[in-house]
Amino acid sequence: MASGRDVRDMLGLPMGGDGQKSAVQKRAKAAAPVRRIQGVAREVAALYGERPPPVAVYEEKKAYRAKRQNQGPAKKWVQQPFVNEARGDGLVLKHWRRKPTTAPPVQDGEDTLMKDGESAEPHVEKSTDFLKYSIQVDLPTFTDEEYDAYLRSDDWSREETDYLFEVVKDYSYRWAVIWDRYDYQPGSRSHLTQETDNADAGRAMAALPFAPTKQRTVEDLKARFYHISAKLMKLRIPEMQMDAEQYTLYETLSKFNPELEGNRKLLAAALMNRSMDEVKEEEFLLAELQRINMAANRLDAEREELRARLEHPSANQQVSAGLASFTSSQALQALFSQLFAQDRSKKRASGGGTGPSRISLNTNDLIQTPSSANAQLSAAARRQSMATNQSAQTPMRTLSPQQEHRYNVSTHDRLTSGVTFGSDKLLKMRQAKSNVQTQKIAAALAELGVSEVIPLPTSKVADVFEQLIGKVGKLLDVRKVREKEEGESRVLAQMKERRGSSGALGGESGGTSVEPQGKHEIPDSAEQTPGLDGEGDEDNDNDEDGDGDGDGDAEGEEDDEDAEGEEDSRVPSETVSRAASTAHKRSASVLSQGSVQSSKRARK
Amino acid sequence: MNTLNSSSAPAAGEYAGDEVAAIVLDPGYSSIRAGFAGEDVPKSVCPSFYGHIDSDSGSQYLYGENAIHTPASNLQIKNYWGSDGIVEDWDTAAKVWEYAITSRLTGARAGDPAKNGLNDGTKENGNGDAMEVDMETIENQEKPLEESPLLMTEPGWNPTKAREKAIEIAMEEWGTPAFYLQKTGVLAAFASGKASGIIIDVGASHTSVTPVLDGMVLKKGVQKSPLAGNFVSNQIRLGFKQSQPEIPLTPHYLVKSKTPVDAGMPAQAVYKTFDIPPTDSFRHYQEERVLTEYKESVVEIWPGPGRLSNGTNEEIAKNTPGRPFEMPDGWNQVFGVDRFRAAEGLFDANAALTDDANPRPKDEHTLPRLVQAAVQQVDADQRPLLLQNIVVTGGSTLLYKLGDRLNYEINALYPSTRNKLIAPGPVVERKYAAWIGGSILASLGSFHQLWISRKEYEEHGANIVEKRCR
Repeated sequence: MASGRDVRDMLGLPMGGDGQKSAVQKRAKAAAPVRRIQGVAREVAALYGERPPPVAVYEEKKAYRAKRQNQGPAKKWVQQPFVNEARGDGLVLKHWRRKPTTAPPVQDGEDTLMKDGESAEPHVEKSTDFLKYSIQVDLPTFTDEEYDAYLRSDDWSREETDYLFEVVKDYSYRWAVIWDRYDYQPGSRSHLTQETDNADAGRAMAALPFAPTKQRTVEDLKARFYHISAKLMKLRIPEMQMDAEQYTLYETLSKFNPELEGNRKLLAAALMNRSMDEVKEEEFLLAELQRINMAANRLDAEREELRARLEHPSANQQVSAGLASFTSSQALQALFSQLFAQDRSKKRASGGGTGPSRISLNTNDLIQTPSSANAQLSAAARRQSMATNQSAQTPMRTLSPQQEHRYNVSTHDRLTSGVTFGSDKLLKMRQAKSNVQTQKIAAALAELGVSEVIPLPTSKVADVFEQLIGKVGKLLDVRKVREKEEGESRVLAQMKERRGSSGALGGESGGTSVEPQGKHEIPDSAEQTPGLDGEGDEDNDNDEDGDGDGDGDAEGEEDDEDAEGEEDSRVPSETVSRAASTAHKRSASVLSQGSVQSSKRARK
Repeated sequence: MNTLNSSSAPAAGEYAGDEVAAIVLDPGYSSIRAGFAGEDVPKSVCPSFYGHIDSDSGSQYLYGENAIHTPASNLQIKNYWGSDGIVEDWDTAAKVWEYAITSRLTGARAGDPAKNGLNDGTKENGNGDAMEVDMETIENQEKPLEESPLLMTEPGWNPTKAREKAIEIAMEEWGTPAFYLQKTGVLAAFASGKASGIIIDVGASHTSVTPVLDGMVLKKGVQKSPLAGNFVSNQIRLGFKQSQPEIPLTPHYLVKSKTPVDAGMPAQAVYKTFDIPPTDSFRHYQEERVLTEYKESVVEIWPGPGRLSNGTNEEIAKNTPGRPFEMPDGWNQVFGVDRFRAAEGLFDANAALTDDANPRPKDEHTLPRLVQAAVQQVDADQRPLLLQNIVVTGGSTLLYKLGDRLNYEINALYPSTRNKLIAPGPVVERKYAAWIGGSILASLGSFHQLWISRKEYEEHGANIVEKRCR
């Protein structure tokens, strides 16, 4: 049982790859012949590509040259005499049939019987295949007494009636043919008629030829026949006992109106005999009518829409059925459209919609609309009722300020969604837009002795803290402006010193003139352009931090902390004494910034 | 249950076929069609014309295509049909029909050994009495249709006498076991697969319009007129005579050799001479063959709209390219508008050429009027149905563009109904529609019960055909 796999294993050859490949190849080979199209040159077949050809290619061999089923000698055929059972006279005709295979000598009775037949005279087959096509028509029959009692007519003789029934039978109720062949000639015409045999003619002879030959119309014939049929039917089955089918038949038979039918046919004939012009005119008129109808329909639809807009939705007709009436999708659709229209009209009535628009259904609507009382309420009344409902739901209770404080009840104009911690709110206040600002605030707070975590962050604490933060913010702003002014004044002072080589007069005045300007500006800048100042701050701060922040976040934070520490110590000294000891460190940046800022302002 | 479609043959039980080797005989004015039921074309097509040589030694009759076209002295060509479209000469008709059946279908029956001449040497020694006894059975066996039921066709206006005569011939003379007579109109409708419709049959001697409803002819609506193929031939003859110069009409048998000539030039041909020339009827018949060729290749019907004489139609017709035709003697010409005039009489009585022998045809004999009259005689409810199935058949409907014109005329008559012309394309189906319909009918198993058997005939007499074949 050593397979190739085992051999490979023993020889240490690579296993999987080769084996799989060969398997794939094998499979592909096996699949290819299936797809190959027979009877087409290989080159042509290649042109088809992978897809099957758009036109089915037939394999000629298979389609047209079926294999011969049996290789034996040709089967014998005989002209088999047969009698058609549908015939009464036993006419023997012959048709070709396979010769029955000769049976082994002794088998059973049938075979021996057939053998006997063959030996005596040719077996005559009985063909019943076409018996079903021999159909006799049903015809009402009547006796002489019945005729005398019920069926007499002034217009029709007994003979003609019989003749009519005969013709109806001969032509199986094909009235057009019956009328065409109807050729009753009373009395003497016996040998001339083609439809009646001698016996019939003799009887006709005996009858008195009292009526001249009449030209009967189809309607006359039908009327007479239906009349008799109806009467006979009534005689056989009383009206009360007829079943539905019989009764409808009876109705149609007894209600036949020859005049009406005749008129109808005249109209039909007139319609057919119209001239080309009339037909064209009619076609034109019909086209015109269609056009007008379409226009009218469109107009109607427009009006309907308008009406629907103007009127309130009509009461639902299926009100009494309640919810059960909304089982069908159509009813639901109607309900929806009704509610929708109702909603729209309500919105319009309230003038632009004070409340939120409501399109979706709710249970309240479902319950309300089917009830007839509500359906007839005007929109206004309903709104009112809804308003009272709301007031009833939220009873107002006034609390004293003490109680409010005690229960910590607060009223809000607007409530934000969701639940928040009071501490979150405080934390949020500590944060400014920029990191540096946040650090500055934190430093200021630390200096004031406010701990980072406030233990009981009630709303009151939050309020106070908010005020405090607001003040800190202002303070920071002021400090920033002051630093800037200081920087500028310093620059100016240096410029003055430089000029002072020529004359030291202007230096003093420049310095003093700058100083009050700066003082003036402080509130202005704080009030008017906090954003701009902020930006300026940021720029400054970023520049400041630039040396520390370069490496990474973690380091940056550490640096920030360091910087905070520095600044913390710095801020009060700056605010208290105007000596800028640390300012030297960043004088260059401040200088450049200050100059840039000033130039910006100048430009503005 | 698979649905019927045209591509697959019906199963045996489905189309109720059960062939009994019936013979279908469809005699017409110009040809007799005969063949076995179940086949798609008649095997035997013989001319209805026959030759009659009346010499001192007695009358000699010639039947079949081969015999009657050979010029012989005193040879007269006759036709057994009367001028009203009903068989006139029944004796000869029976013989021609028998020839049509036996020459190609059943063959001459093997005669009785006693009479076929092979045993002549021994005949004298035989027992004379025994021969006498067998005589009757021998005679029966000699009848040509002993084994085959016969379905015969008849025109729609066939009178009772003619019908009775037909069954008499079939039963008495031919000894057929079963017989049936059906109208050509019905059979032509069957050939097109219709049970109801209006059948327009333009034959040689007569044009007929037959309304058929559910396989039954509406007798009151049957219309016939003599404006058919022969009428067109006469129109062509008249046209030839009236043209300047007169166009010579020389049948083939007179021409020995010919040399080509330019169009319109007199023919240069060597003619045959006969000691005793064939009769006029022979020449007429031979001329008719040339005219048939002319009709097939030149004659065209103005396709409408309007008649040829209307407005500028004639101008338009003149501007269409002509068609050349060469007579057997070499005379040739390109026929222009004349070719439209030959058959215009079928539709427009005023347009027919006339002379003393050919009076103006009656208006009511034109095709549109025939159709109108036929439809008028049908119950108003059935008219639209019939107009939806207008079957066109007959050899003369092969005239070029006859279908177009007919379509136009009928639509002009009945603009408000949906009129559909059913004109089978193949020539055989158009010419032999009635025979094909008969072939279909007689091969049906459900038709077996309709045959009039010999027994019934013997019981009721010839009148049974009136009762059974309606």
